[in-house]
Amino acid sequence: MRASSFRYLVKNGIHNLWSNRMMTIASVGTLIACLLIVGFAVLFSINVDSIVEYMGEQNEVVIFMQMDTPLEYMTTMEAELSQVEGLDDVVYVSAEEGFAEYKEGLGEDAYLLDGMEDEAAQILPAKFTARITDPEHVDAILASIRRMDYVDTAEAPTDLTKTLVSIRTMVNTIGGTVIAALVLVSLVIITNTIRASVFTRRKEISIMKYVGATNGFIRVPFIVEGILLGIIAAVIAFLVIWGGYTLFVDAMATETTSWLGSITQHLVPFWPMGYQLLGYFLLAGIATGGIGSAFSMRGHLKV
Amino acid sequence: MIDLIDVCFRYDNGTEALQNVNLRVDNGEFAFIVGSSGAGKSSIIKLLLRETRATEGTVIVNGYNLNKLKERQIPKFRRSIGVVFQDFRLIPTMTVYDNVAFSLRVTDASNKTIRQQVPYVLELMELQDKARKYPMELSGGEQQRVALARALVNDPPLIIADEPTGNIDPEFSYEIVEMLRAINKCGTTIVMVTHEHEMVKYFGGRTINIEEGTVVFDDYIGGAHES
Repeated sequence: MRASSFRYLVKNGIHNLWSNRMMTIASVGTLIACLLIVGFAVLFSINVDSIVEYMGEQNEVVIFMQMDTPLEYMTTMEAELSQVEGLDDVVYVSAEEGFAEYKEGLGEDAYLLDGMEDEAAQILPAKFTARITDPEHVDAILASIRRMDYVDTAEAPTDLTKTLVSIRTMVNTIGGTVIAALVLVSLVIITNTIRASVFTRRKEISIMKYVGATNGFIRVPFIVEGILLGIIAAVIAFLVIWGGYTLFVDAMATETTSWLGSITQHLVPFWPMGYQLLGYFLLAGIATGGIGSAFSMRGHLKV
Repeated sequence: MIDLIDVCFRYDNGTEALQNVNLRVDNGEFAFIVGSSGAGKSSIIKLLLRETRATEGTVIVNGYNLNKLKERQIPKFRRSIGVVFQDFRLIPTMTVYDNVAFSLRVTDASNKTIRQQVPYVLELMELQDKARKYPMELSGGEQQRVALARALVNDPPLIIADEPTGNIDPEFSYEIVEMLRAINKCGTTIVMVTHEHEMVKYFGGRTINIEEGTVVFDDYIGGAHES
C-alpha cells in the first residue's frame, strides 16, 4: 500500500469521527463511563489497601525477657529478632530504660519510685519492641519469638491486626471481583456500542466491497476511528479522575477528626500513580476501541 | 467477456432462481436484460458480481471463473467491473469527488492519478460543479450520474447497471441510458438490467428476456430511437 493511501485511510478514520458524531459521542460516553467506574474502583481499592497497611504497621509486639537473662545475651537476641521475617525496627529497652519509662508514665506519682533506680533490674525485666510489617502472619511471628531462649512473654494486639487483615482481604476480594465484573460489563457495552455504530454503516461497507475494496482497506479507517475513540475517552476519563481525586484528597486534608485525619494522611498521592493510570486507560481505550471495531466489522465484510 | 454456461442458482430456502441459463455477452456489446419482478434478473447480477456462487454451471466474467474465485481474489475481480445500482449506493459521508475517487483509492492509485482522473470523469458526467456537494444535496438523476462516474473512473472493460433508471424521473432515465450508450461506443461492454420494456423498445439493441429463471428471448430488436 502506498504511503499516500495509508494517509488517506487514517484521514478518513479521523473524518468519520466527525461524520458519525452521534455514534462517536455514544461510544466515547460509554467508554468514559466504564473507565470512570473501573478507575474509581481501582483507586478505592488501592487506598483501602494503603490505609490498612499503614494501620497494620502501627502494631507493635512487646517481648519481655526473663529476669535471669544474661546481659550479654541481649545483643544475640536483638540480632535474632532482626532476622525474623515480618518484623522491623527492633529496639532493645533495658530494665533501667523500662523503669524510667514506667516512672515517667506515672506522672505526678513518679516520686513514689524515687531512689529505686538501682534496683530496676530486679524489679522490671528487659524488653524488646518491634513493628510487625507482615500483619497477616502475626500468630506465626509471635510463636517463633516465644520459642526463643529467655523469652518470657511476647504479645501483640492480634485482634486488631486480624480485623485489619480481614478488612483488607475483603476489600481486595470484593474490589477485585467488582472490578473484574465491571471490566466485563464495560467490554460488552462498548462492543455493542461499536457494533451498533458499524451496523448503521453496513451499507457504506457493502458499497466499498462492491467497488473492489479489500477487507484490510475497509477496516483501517474503522480501526483508526476506534483507536481515536479510545484515546479521547481515556484522556477525558483520566482528567475527570485526576480532578475528582485531587478534590477529594484536598477535602479530606482539612479533616481534623483525629482518627479520620490520621487515615486520610495516608491516602495514596495521585502522582506518580497517575502516570500508571493514564497508561492503563490509554491501553484499555485503544484496545477496546481498536479491537472492538475490528471484531464488530467481521459480519459485514461478507458481501 | 461474460459467459454463463448451464447455470442454475438455488437460494438456501430451496427457491430455484435460475435454471440452466446459457448466456454470452461479448466485448463491446450493449445488452439489456429484461424480465418481470422475480424472474431472476437480480440473481444474475448477484452471480456476475460474485456476491454469490452458482449452484451449478460456470460463470465467467472478464476472464475470471467465478466458481473458482477465492475470497481474497474478489476485490481484484470487482475492480475490473463498474457497477451502477438502482439506489445509487453512494457513501453519504463523502463528497461527490471523494465518492468517485474512492474507486481509484481502492486500487492504490497515486494522488496524481486521482487528481487527473476524477475531474475528467466528473466533467464527462457534467458534474464538475457538484464535486464538493454531498449525495444528499443532489437530485436522483445527479446521484445516478455520480454513481456512473464512479463506475467509469477506473476505465473498466465492463459496466453492469442494475435498474439504473428505477429511482429517477423518466426524463433523466433516458439521459442515463444515453450516457451508457455513449460509454459503450467507446468500447466498454454494458449490461443493463431493467424492467422498463418501453425504454428497451425505444433504444433497441440486444435484449435478453428472462422469465421464471430461464432465458426466453435473446435477440436484437430495432429501437424507435434508431429509426
